[in-house]
Amino acid sequence: MQKVLIANRGEIAIRVMRACRDMGLETVAVYSDADRASPHVRYADEARHLGPSAAAESYLRIDRLIDAARDSGADAVHPGYGFLAENEEFAAACRDAGLVFIGPTPEAIALMGSKTAARRTALTAGAPVVPGTETPLPASMHDAQLAEIAAGIGYPLLVKAVAGGGGKGMRVVSNPADLPNAVRAARSEAGAAFGDSDIYFERRILHARHVEIQLLADQHGTVVPFVERECSIQRRHQKVIEESPSPVVTPALRGRMAAAAAAVARAAGYTSAGTIEFLLDEGGHFYFLEMNTRLQVEHPVTEMVTGLDLVQWQIRIARGERLTVDPARALTPWGHAIECRIYAEDPDQGFLPSPGRILCLHVPSGPGIRRDSGVEAGFEVPIHYDSMIAKLVAWGEDRGQAIARLRRALSEYQVRGIKTTIPFFQWILATDAFARGEFHTTYLDELLLARRGQAFVAAPEVAEDLAVLAVALRSYLRAHGSAGPALPSSAAAPARPDGWRRAGRLQGLRPA
Amino acid sequence: MTFEIEISGRLREVRVERDGPSPHRFRVTVDGRPHEVDTVAVEDDTLSLVLPAMGHASYEIGFADGLLPNDVTVYTHGGTLHAVVNGRRSRGGARAAATGEQRVHAPMPGRVLRVLARPGDEVAARQPLVVVEAMKMENELSAPRAGRVKDVVVQEGVSVEAGRLLVIVE
Repeated sequence: MQKVLIANRGEIAIRVMRACRDMGLETVAVYSDADRASPHVRYADEARHLGPSAAAESYLRIDRLIDAARDSGADAVHPGYGFLAENEEFAAACRDAGLVFIGPTPEAIALMGSKTAARRTALTAGAPVVPGTETPLPASMHDAQLAEIAAGIGYPLLVKAVAGGGGKGMRVVSNPADLPNAVRAARSEAGAAFGDSDIYFERRILHARHVEIQLLADQHGTVVPFVERECSIQRRHQKVIEESPSPVVTPALRGRMAAAAAAVARAAGYTSAGTIEFLLDEGGHFYFLEMNTRLQVEHPVTEMVTGLDLVQWQIRIARGERLTVDPARALTPWGHAIECRIYAEDPDQGFLPSPGRILCLHVPSGPGIRRDSGVEAGFEVPIHYDSMIAKLVAWGEDRGQAIARLRRALSEYQVRGIKTTIPFFQWILATDAFARGEFHTTYLDELLLARRGQAFVAAPEVAEDLAVLAVALRSYLRAHGSAGPALPSSAAAPARPDGWRRAGRLQGLRPA
Repeated sequence: MTFEIEISGRLREVRVERDGPSPHRFRVTVDGRPHEVDTVAVEDDTLSLVLPAMGHASYEIGFADGLLPNDVTVYTHGGTLHAVVNGRRSRGGARAAATGEQRVHAPMPGRVLRVLARPGDEVAARQPLVVVEAMKMENELSAPRAGRVKDVVVQEGVSVEAGRLLVIVE
C-alpha cells in the first residue's frame, strides 16, 4: 500500500490523511464544487474533482470515486465516516476494482447494517439485546397484528427503521392507541431516508445511558475491545458530547461489556475498527443496541486515553498485519478524555444551521487539548453537508481536570462570522449534573425543553460595559486609520514537506 | 469623537479622546462617566484593553462586522454581544417590532422544502410558515406574533440566500 484515496471531506478527511502521512503513505483528496477551496484538498498530495456540490452527485458517487482512485494510481480507499462508510456496495466496488477498502468486508457491513440481522448476530454471540422483534415487520401487517406484537414487548416501546440510524425513522410510543400512527410515520420517514420502509419494535429502556465499546479486529482472528465511551449527552438522538471512560462503568462491568462486544464482532466475522453500542440501564444491565461498521466521529477520546492511533491500526489491519495491541492497555483508561462536537448552528435559535463565511478563527491549544477541524479563517461553511466544523477534545488526569481543560479551551475558541454551538457547551459543562456525571440519553432534550427561550449566549453586565468601551475604541481607531479590520489570516498552513519535496523532484529542482 | 452605541437594547452616548502622550491611552466617557483605557489593536480585528483604574484588569475583545453596515458582533470571554454603532435602530425599530408588519426572512441559505401558509391565512404566533432545508436539516420558520399572512414571496423548491424575504405577516 502506497497511496490512499480518502473518500470524504472536512475534518475526517484531514484526520485520515494525517495518519497516512505519519506512515509515509501518499494521499489523494476528492472534492465537490463546493469544496474546491476546502482545507482537505490542500492538505492532500493530490486532489480529484468529483462533481457538483450535492453529495448525491459527488461524495456518494461510487463510480466517480472508483474512477478517481484508478486514475490517481491509489491502491487503497479510506471512507472516513458518513457518506459511503457503511455502504456495502462501495466496499464491494473497491474490492472488485482491486483497491484495498480500509474498513470491514462488504459482507460484515451488510450483516451489521441490518438492525434485525445485527440483533440476531448479537443473540447468537450470547450478548444481551433489548427485548424486541427479531424480524422486520412487513408493510402488509395489520394494525391488530402489530398491536398484539407490541403488547408482547411492552410499553413504552420504540418503532425503529431496520435500515435506520441517527434517530431517523424512529418513534417513541407510550400509549397503545398511538401505535398505528407511529408505525406509519416511521415507515414513511425510513422510506424517504434509507429507501427501505421496514420497521421493527424494541422496548424502550427508560433513563438508559448510551455506552459503547470500540474494537479492532484483524484478518487473523484477533479481536481487541477497548475501554468504553459514554455518549449519553445527545440532542434528538445525535451525540454532542462523548467521553472515556464512562463515569459509571466499573472495571468489572467494563470487562463484561468488552467480552460481549468482542463476541459479537467475532460472530459477525468482523475486521477493522468498529463499535458496539449498548444501552446501560439504571440497574447496571446492558443491552446490545447496534454495531457501527466504521471509524466513529468520537474515536479521538479513545485515542486520548489509550495513546493508540485507531486510523493507523485500520490501515495496518487492511494491509494484513497482525494486531499486536496489548489487550490490557486497550482496556485500561489512562486519565480521562471528553469531546465536544462543534457545529455551525445557532443554539439560541433552536440549533438552526448557521452556514456562512468564517471571518476569523482563534483556536484553543495548550495542555491536554486536541482539535480536529476541517475549517479555517476565510472558509465558507457550505450548506450541502453536515454542519459539524470541528471536534474539540480535552484530556485530563481525571474527569474533573478534563472538564476544566475543556471549559478553558472553549473560552479560548472564537469562530467569528458564523454562529456555533460553543456557547451551548460552555453552559452544559458548567452544570452540576454534568460534573456529577448524572445524565441519560434523553436528559439533554428534557433540559433544553425546560429552558425553552433562555439564551446560552447571555453575557454578564460587565461584558456589556466592556463591549461598549471596546466598540467605541474600535470605531475611533478605524476613523483614524490605525485599526482597520486586519485581513483574516488563514490558520497556520499545515506543514507539508513531503508534498514539496515531491514537487521539487518532479521539476528536477533538487536531488531526490 | 462621539458615538451612539446600542447593546442589548440599551443606547449609550460614548465619547472617545486621547489621554496624554501615549498612543495607547484613551479617555472613554460613557453616558457622562469617564473611563481610563489603555488599548492596542492586535491581529485579526482584535483589541487588547487594560483598565488602569480597575486594578489594571486585562481583556481581549474581538469583533466581526455584521450583515448591515453598522452591526458588529463583539466577542468577549464572558460571552458574545451584538452592537449597533450610530444606527438609531432602537427608536423606530422597537416600535415596528411590537406592532406592524412581520417579515419572515431565511436565516441561512438553503432550499424551500414546503410552504405551509397562503395569503389571507390567519396564523398563530410561532406557527411554522415555511420549511427551509439546509445542511441536511429541516428548519421550520415562523413569525413571532399571530397575524394574517399578507404575502408569500417564495415557492417550494427554490433556493434562497440568507436574508431573503419569505413571508409577510400583518
